[in-house]
Amino acid sequence: MKTLIFGYGNQDRQDDGVAWHVLLQLKQVLGLDPDVIDDELDPYADFQVVFQLQLVPEHAEVIACFDRICFVDAHTGSVLEDVHSEIIHPVFDYSPLTHHLTPPSLLAITKNAYNKEPAALLVSVRGYAFGFTRELSIHTAQLVDVAVEKIHHWLKST
Amino acid sequence: MIAQKITIEPVTRIEGHAKVTIRMNDDGTVNHAYLHVNEFRGFEKFCEGRMVFEMPLITPRICGICPVSHHLASAKAGDDALGAPPPRPAALLRELMHMGQVVQSHGMHFFELAGPDLILGFDADPAMRNVVGLLQADPQLTLKAINLRKWGQEIIRILGGRRIHPSFAVPGGVNKALTSQERDLILAGYDDVIATIKIGLSIIKDWAEKNSEDINKFAVLKSGYFGLVKPGNTLELYDGMIRLVGSDGVELEKFDPKKYLDYIAEHVEDWSYLKFPYYKKMGFPQGVYRVGPLGRCNASDRIATPLANEELQKFKAMNGGKPIENTLHYHTARLIETLYAAENVKVLLDDPDIMSKQILNTCRDPKPQGIGVIEAPRGTLIHHYWMKDTGQVERVNLIVSTGHNNWAMSESVDSVAKTYINGQEIREGLLNRVEAAIRAHDPCLSCSTHAVGQMPMIVEVRDSSDNLVKTITRG
Repeated sequence: MKTLIFGYGNQDRQDDGVAWHVLLQLKQVLGLDPDVIDDELDPYADFQVVFQLQLVPEHAEVIACFDRICFVDAHTGSVLEDVHSEIIHPVFDYSPLTHHLTPPSLLAITKNAYNKEPAALLVSVRGYAFGFTRELSIHTAQLVDVAVEKIHHWLKST
Repeated sequence: MIAQKITIEPVTRIEGHAKVTIRMNDDGTVNHAYLHVNEFRGFEKFCEGRMVFEMPLITPRICGICPVSHHLASAKAGDDALGAPPPRPAALLRELMHMGQVVQSHGMHFFELAGPDLILGFDADPAMRNVVGLLQADPQLTLKAINLRKWGQEIIRILGGRRIHPSFAVPGGVNKALTSQERDLILAGYDDVIATIKIGLSIIKDWAEKNSEDINKFAVLKSGYFGLVKPGNTLELYDGMIRLVGSDGVELEKFDPKKYLDYIAEHVEDWSYLKFPYYKKMGFPQGVYRVGPLGRCNASDRIATPLANEELQKFKAMNGGKPIENTLHYHTARLIETLYAAENVKVLLDDPDIMSKQILNTCRDPKPQGIGVIEAPRGTLIHHYWMKDTGQVERVNLIVSTGHNNWAMSESVDSVAKTYINGQEIREGLLNRVEAAIRAHDPCLSCSTHAVGQMPMIVEVRDSSDNLVKTITRG
């Protein structure tokens, strides 16, 4: 089963880049080289861990090549849990004024443009501070283990 | 009807706070509408103390949509600060990367953000007035649009090693030459890209013809127009003189961008975090101007490439050669520029110097300041660094394009609100126009961070006592 772990965020804005830290730890747990996190999607990979700044429409072309995808991101106030996970489906989330593209929106583009609907999980971790640093806040750093466990469980159970 | 205050607030996190407030009169007419935007001062502080050669890698982190513009403006400021102008091949390669940036950014805006408004209609259900709705309406066009943006991104990746936050330009030049294989790879997509942009132009022209009434009453503002030009007032995106023309098209100034502080001042309003740049000699608000595609097309007389120049001349003919002041024609101007950028890619790749290995000037003649100016997709971008003797940056001033257009966006919102919201119940369809007035300028409001969670547009209708009467949430 072709699997993509797709983290995104801004590493230079502290907790916004928590996905990067989750991916590093996940690779350690999986016994993979934690020093290498791809920054380009590879449609031919059977298993890939990728980190990028943000989702963009042209990702749909490569997303369509995978059977299952786990998106990893940060979240703020509107999400109740500190570490949130949910199975997501193709639904376009309207963003009136911005360039923001969400995982369900990307899946919607994938489905409509390429007629593919990979199984997808979204795992997000609460961010507390968004300063100009790569070091996570203490509160967010403590949540990384939980996020990794959720992803690991999903990998084993699907 | 009692007096009301309407608030439209896309809820975002750090950058990205933009709020529209529409103040209503007792008779249901709009008293005044305002747009409030945050700015990037935190980033300027963050850069203090950094070495100047680090800046082209640090400043693109401001934005994930137009990082190349910050990357190149920063490298140009570094050239100036270190007294190291890049060799011609390096300047050509930087310009090539910039063209990729313009194609991907303009392409995304027209087809994926504004296109649904135009193709599906302002009054279409917001749930469908988006790229997926467009996909369902015209899947082939949408795939072409995605490929257009991909081509621009691929140019950036080939030169800078990655599509976002490339490592390429350094003070004095660039760090990688172009190979013949890479050149051929870019050229292979050229014909399809030109064809897609022409489709976009035909869409906007057809739409403009059918919607002339909307265009002519939708935020038609008198202002100056501002942008880089080459000799002959030729539209320029990478390097040139700044030309400012008035609402009548008469040239007010043409100046070296490094002297921007002699010509531009910033006005402050107590209701906005963002300042309002204006032309000093005319004062505020008489001296306000617009930047970006409409600003540049109005500030220039011609374009150096044939297809885009033909379109520019048709564009100018719509108002007898005088500036086009209709805000919705930002979209037309944006497509003309996309055509220019794509054509210019071929011009640059056909230049014999483009594959030269002479890409770095290592001479140094440090100066106390460095200024780099470039036309980002959204308008003129200024990086100004004050230097220490150590090569560290002591102080930073960034004027971003969304800032130059602050007055225009706010006035557009006011104009549209007054035109379309008048003594009647506030329906979502009316607010679509307010949203479109902001979007025409393609502001960059939320590019530094992207987290889970919607960015809904919340519309609050309040009475004169600030009691909540109605809430509309979009998103």
